[in-house]
Amino acid sequence: MPQIFTASADTRLRATALVIALAVVGAVLLGGGYMGSSYATLVGWVRHQPVPFSHEHHVGALGIDCRYCHTTVETSASAGFPPTHVCMTCHSQVWTGAPMLALVRQSLADNTPLRWNRVARLPDYVFFNHSIHVARGVPCVTCHGRVDKMPLMTRAHPFQMQWCLDCHRNPAPHLRPPDEITRMDWSAWDKDAAHKNYGALMVKAYGIQPSKLDACTVCHR
Amino acid sequence: MTDLTAHPPRGRRYAEITGEITRVPLDFPQRRNWWILFSFSLLLLLVFIVSAGVLFTFGVGVWGNNIPVNWGIAISNYVFFLGIGHAGTLISAMLLVLNENWRNSLNRFAEAMTLVAVTCAGLYPILHLGRPWLFYWMALYPNTMTIQPQFRSPLTWDFFAVLTYLTVSLLFWYIGILPDLAASRDRARKRRWQVFYGLISLGWRGSAFHWARWRTCYAITAVIAVPLVVSVHSEISLLFAAGPIPGWTSTVFPPYFVLGAAFSGFAVVSMIAVVLRHAFGLYAFVTDRHLDLLAKMLLTTGLMTAYGYCIEVFDALYSGEKQDIATMFDRLTGGVAWSYWSAVICNFVPLQLLWLARVRRNPWLLFLISLSATIGMWFERYMLLVSSLYRDYLVSSWDSYFPSFWEWSLFAGMLGVFLTPFLLFVRFLPMMSAFEIKEAVFEQEQEGEEPRHA
Amino acid sequence: MSLRDGHNGAVGARIGESLRGKSGRTFWRSLDELAGTEDFRRFLEAEFPSIAPDAGSVNRRALLKIMGASLAMAGLAGCGGETDEEALPYVVAPENVIPGNPKWYATSVTFGGYAQPVLGKTHTGRPVKLEGNPDHPAAKGATDAFTQAALIGLYDPDRTKAPLHLGRATTWSTFDAAIREQAEKLDGTKGQGLRLLTGAVSSPTLQRQIGDLLRRWPNARWHAFEPAQETTRRDASRQVFGEPLDWHLRLDKAAVIVALDDDLLGPGPRQVHHGRMWSERRQAFHNGKAACTLLVAEPTPSLTGTMATERLVVPHARIAILLAAFAQALGLQSGVQAPLDEAAKAFAEHALERCRRNPGAALISVGAQHAAELQALALLVNERLGALGNTLGFTDPVIAEPPDGSASLEALVSDMSRGQVGTLLILDCNPAYTAPVDLDFADVIERVPLRLHAGLHHDETAALCHWHLPLQHDLEAWTDARAVDGTVGIIQPLVRPFYDVRSKHVLLENIAGRFDATDRDLVQATWRTAWGQDFDARWRDTLYRGFIPDSVLPEKAPTFNTNPITLPQPPKADGLTVLFRPDPTIWDGRFANNAWLQELPKPIGKIVWGNAVFIAPALAGKLEVENGNEVRVSQDGAAVTGPVWIVPGQEPDTIVLTLGYGRRISGEDIGGGLLHELGYDATPLRRAAGPWALAGAEIAVTGNHQDIASTQYHSAMDGYDFVRTVSAPDEQAAEKKKQPSFYPNRKWDSPSWGMSVDVDLCIGCNACVVACMAENNIPVVGKELVAMGREMHWLRIDRYHEGDPADPAMYFQPVPCMHCEQAPCEMGCPVNATTHSPDGLNQQIYNRCIGTRTCSSFCPYKVRHFNWFDYTADDPPETQAARNPDVTVRQRGVMEKCTYCVQRIREAQISAQKDGRILVDGDVRTACQQACPTQAISFGDVIDPESAVSRRKASPRDYTLLEEVNTRPRTTYLARITESVPGKAKS
Repeated sequence: MPQIFTASADTRLRATALVIALAVVGAVLLGGGYMGSSYATLVGWVRHQPVPFSHEHHVGALGIDCRYCHTTVETSASAGFPPTHVCMTCHSQVWTGAPMLALVRQSLADNTPLRWNRVARLPDYVFFNHSIHVARGVPCVTCHGRVDKMPLMTRAHPFQMQWCLDCHRNPAPHLRPPDEITRMDWSAWDKDAAHKNYGALMVKAYGIQPSKLDACTVCHR
Repeated sequence: MTDLTAHPPRGRRYAEITGEITRVPLDFPQRRNWWILFSFSLLLLLVFIVSAGVLFTFGVGVWGNNIPVNWGIAISNYVFFLGIGHAGTLISAMLLVLNENWRNSLNRFAEAMTLVAVTCAGLYPILHLGRPWLFYWMALYPNTMTIQPQFRSPLTWDFFAVLTYLTVSLLFWYIGILPDLAASRDRARKRRWQVFYGLISLGWRGSAFHWARWRTCYAITAVIAVPLVVSVHSEISLLFAAGPIPGWTSTVFPPYFVLGAAFSGFAVVSMIAVVLRHAFGLYAFVTDRHLDLLAKMLLTTGLMTAYGYCIEVFDALYSGEKQDIATMFDRLTGGVAWSYWSAVICNFVPLQLLWLARVRRNPWLLFLISLSATIGMWFERYMLLVSSLYRDYLVSSWDSYFPSFWEWSLFAGMLGVFLTPFLLFVRFLPMMSAFEIKEAVFEQEQEGEEPRHA
Repeated sequence: MSLRDGHNGAVGARIGESLRGKSGRTFWRSLDELAGTEDFRRFLEAEFPSIAPDAGSVNRRALLKIMGASLAMAGLAGCGGETDEEALPYVVAPENVIPGNPKWYATSVTFGGYAQPVLGKTHTGRPVKLEGNPDHPAAKGATDAFTQAALIGLYDPDRTKAPLHLGRATTWSTFDAAIREQAEKLDGTKGQGLRLLTGAVSSPTLQRQIGDLLRRWPNARWHAFEPAQETTRRDASRQVFGEPLDWHLRLDKAAVIVALDDDLLGPGPRQVHHGRMWSERRQAFHNGKAACTLLVAEPTPSLTGTMATERLVVPHARIAILLAAFAQALGLQSGVQAPLDEAAKAFAEHALERCRRNPGAALISVGAQHAAELQALALLVNERLGALGNTLGFTDPVIAEPPDGSASLEALVSDMSRGQVGTLLILDCNPAYTAPVDLDFADVIERVPLRLHAGLHHDETAALCHWHLPLQHDLEAWTDARAVDGTVGIIQPLVRPFYDVRSKHVLLENIAGRFDATDRDLVQATWRTAWGQDFDARWRDTLYRGFIPDSVLPEKAPTFNTNPITLPQPPKADGLTVLFRPDPTIWDGRFANNAWLQELPKPIGKIVWGNAVFIAPALAGKLEVENGNEVRVSQDGAAVTGPVWIVPGQEPDTIVLTLGYGRRISGEDIGGGLLHELGYDATPLRRAAGPWALAGAEIAVTGNHQDIASTQYHSAMDGYDFVRTVSAPDEQAAEKKKQPSFYPNRKWDSPSWGMSVDVDLCIGCNACVVACMAENNIPVVGKELVAMGREMHWLRIDRYHEGDPADPAMYFQPVPCMHCEQAPCEMGCPVNATTHSPDGLNQQIYNRCIGTRTCSSFCPYKVRHFNWFDYTADDPPETQAARNPDVTVRQRGVMEKCTYCVQRIREAQISAQKDGRILVDGDVRTACQQACPTQAISFGDVIDPESAVSRRKASPRDYTLLEEVNTRPRTTYLARITESVPGKAKS
């Protein structure tokens, strides 16, 4: 009776099986990798903005304090976006004619809000409160990164649940003096041995209980 | 016909046994009927697709569920199908380990039936979810939320139990069918058949090495499978028993469910056995003795289930809990009493006929009794679920439950999901384990005794 | 921010898309179309009753119409919410508005002419919640269901958005031109033929304006019509004192209250005030400081009857006889002699004996729906009991008295029929629907040459008028009004009107031909004259408080004229007596388009989205009908047809019909033209003489069936102890011993939250339920989904009967989530979507929920509710604007339940931490607790033994619902106190 398969068929069959197995494993790894990658977290991705606002210039070069524009960060859940007239307080004096700022002037002229694209964004079911984090001394840079080094705003950290929880479960290392909350570069402060236990001490002082900070309803309501 | 005439002539060559079995897929005797049945099951499959589509598009609201009855037919069918799915492993693995070789002519299609039944069962929990696209959250996997499944929940274990059961059954079935696939390959005339069998028999040559490895492998899988027979449905029973709901919180549930499962499983196997043997004239393999044994199993498990019923009542009365007793009486007399009594009647009244040997050996009577048992078990699952939910503790939350059109249609569709693959199996694969039958015959001949068995 | 639960946004959105504009019901319809043939439909109906489209039931699409189809809203573009992607900052930031932080304004909403004081919570200019004003002397921080629901009334998209002339949209300028001309004419004739018809008016400004108008045009005339008002009492005081006076029942001073068919604690403008006073007295009784007995004789169960120490079932007609018996016992003649039956005699004796034991602390009241003579006699009886000045006080009318007094509307109608009315301005009332039918208002109004209607909706009356002028809602208007106790509230807007509407004050000016003043000017004008110099200071202070302190009308000590009272002989009661009542949730129909109130279960019947013919079990037995069977109630010619609903504890020969349904609004004006599909209209049986009762009626079974949606189909307690009773405040309700458990005993540290509900104080008024809906964005699902058992209320009020259905004991029991320490739901959930927080909350995380519904299956209390469909996707922008931004809007397919208002807890904790203070008892108040008129709900830290809730839980009356299940609930109850009444056996 004639052979059905060639001699190599067996090998090819095994090869196929192997390939399939690898494909499955590969798919899993790929999926996992994607979730961690900046494709999913958008870390370091520049979103298009109507006006190419440079934090690097305003914060880094000019040294304008965060709270000059994000006024409600200490009082409200939301840090707040600067109303157009805040931009115009300066830009009615400087760069008055700059084409780059045409939209800003127009916004003020015909009283239509600027439409920024959110960079630091949380899902609707997450209730993040800026004011309490600021009050407890979590500096801006911890979540938003070195905005003073960002010509265009990008996301500095993956705003994923595990990232939030890392801090909520162990807040001590992230605490800084609230009066310097908008400070960007903490390297000098960190080097100072005197600050080694600062976080731990503040956790005690404020009566922060990390054991209670990861309750679901702290963020989800 | 009697058992004696069912005996093949003593000198029958083993080859002919294989021939008999592989003949079925190769030159298929029942083409016309098969096509009729198959197109019918395809139609049901279509119904399934539509019903599921509607469900996913509009939400579980298209069903009749409500608060308090937030589980309905979906979950009771889940339990029902999983129950049916127990026969396969029970017959194959359990009886293999017990070296009951009469199983050899039943195990193959019993296992195939198990596979499809478990698939149907597995689909239901996912379909009934509010947000089915997130079902994978029940699985254990590293994720960015640092949240894992909640291991006190019976559902989490359902997820693992059903998955394990499906995998093991599949392996067991495939390992078992390998040698026969090879045999079919060798007997196939047409090229495409040869290729088809050739591929799926994974180059089985029947060398001594193959057989040696095959044996170990098969035995090991069997041993793995055996505990599953008990574990899976005990686990499913916790889906009810774990809840503090009158009529559910009872320690009798695990055995109760397992026995019920075996019962319904044997019922379905008997039905299939009767039909197949008639359709393909396999009287030589599925002899009256097989029917007789099946019937006995049916009777035994049936009576055990009956015991479960009695214990349930006793349990409620003995507990003295006002609510439990109320639920018990409501089951017997209340809004869903029809399902309770249908269950009792379908499960046990016809069953009693099986005390008579004549009935046990009468294929069509056996078929009817099994059918009634299957239906009865469906009613039982429905009764257990609804009767406890629609009237629980607070009278203020009492309500009623009417399955909606889409629940029924999904059920019908699920039968399509059940039938289609099984018919394909019957059509294209050797539905009995030829080599194991031969083995049995050989052993008997070695012992120089009259082979009681083809 | 957009409030959709955006989890798996892509998928969610896709599902949402495919569902948009569809729903269970409409889908069936389309399925039928799919199948096409009539046979298929019949087959469906036969085989699957659950999907057979039942005629007349409101489908969800329609439900959405009740709250209005969507439309663009200029006023709310800024706060309608930015999308997930974009951020829209202000161009110029408004003064002291902090996005994310709510602002509170003290104001009022009016109901039946009375001010209901509230604090309005606004987010970036968007009112999201109304709460009671704690400083107000009458309400003391409590609200009723109507007040809570006023919020969604503001956002009602079916409100008229621009003036209509002859049914066609027009502009205000056109109206101004027309009316200016009209005003000049009237100047000529000194207002000859000008008539003004208003609802009840307590507003000083409106009174001032009407006064000015009448002074300027002496020939003009003002009429007032309020469907449910206490005019009979005013007439009685006119009869006894010679002057019309308001009665103020001081329930807090009464040791004994005898209410003869008077629903003191029932729905109505006085509910909050009365409830508050009664509960203060009741709580004093709990602490052994005072006696508090409530004896009620009534023909049909009321909230008051439910709370009664002793309740007598008595027909409407025999109330007079009962009162006469009292009078006689106190040596007063009333001209009525009729024997009392045994039960009545016993009741009267107990009542009198108790009254005599408490001189000066007893009070007898007769329902305002009874004749003036009865009221007058009641006055004399109270005088004999020494109630006057103690438990019963008098002031000048809070509601301004129209020239023709209680016959005001009749006078207008007769003038109209005689063609003496040339111009009629109807201000914010709907007589064409609410007036008794024998006045033929709808017909005679046709004889008025110029008819103007001002109101929020294009209702029945508007349809009969030439002009329909849209009014401002109280929450967007400047006006003023007096609360039930007379305290003046200044009503300031929470939001700029987002439709093209006018204030009623401005309109009144317009009628007089003046067009310059704004509503604010007009209100200020009133008070500038009243306050003179220190206006500015007092105005600012008043706006801050929301009311003018010590502005109650001066107490009067009127003198009796001693003419004897003779009661009208009670009619020989042949046949059945029909009683008419305002609907407990939509009143006279004015709230018909308020979905929150439509879906709110009626306190006694627990039915929603419609009314029913309420009959006693005995009558039902005689007629051999059950709930939903249609009957025809008729009396000489006139008839009303509706489904039956059986009410245990109702007098056998009494039929109760409620007003407000079966609206005659056609077309899509309001509620998508659906209101006429809901319930029946009772007015055909109402007569101007005696509008509240009708003797000699007949009832016949039609053989049809109508679907009634109810949230509770079983109410007999069946010998369970869901509501426990004790016979004295200090009696033990349950033996305190912890049952054994396999769970490890968990250590709780402070704060750990818990709740205590006093069923001895709960009057079942539903305020908490609506407050909960408002606070937690709870969706409304519509009639047939409620009928399927899919209502979403996180907090429900169970109503139980115990004993003989003819005269059972009745209880209310609010049931929120129990927040069990050993919660079965937490054990059941496979994905950790419901877990326990360190501070003792049973958390429900919507975005983690996959909808296995195991939690609900395992929940012994069935307090969890499931989003069977996407209930929020179809919401019109208005409804979205009313949402609370601090609470997730739930997606399709997730479970939801009471969270103890966790958003309030977290908010309180955060602000406490920011201020560096520790959380003190009372910092966190749940929405239900805040709204409750009787302080039945207490919430707080159960670890702190000094907290209010701990002190309540320490009471011997404290017990656990379903203790035997041993889930260790954090919500516990205080047992009802039922003094054992001689000669009345409990089952």
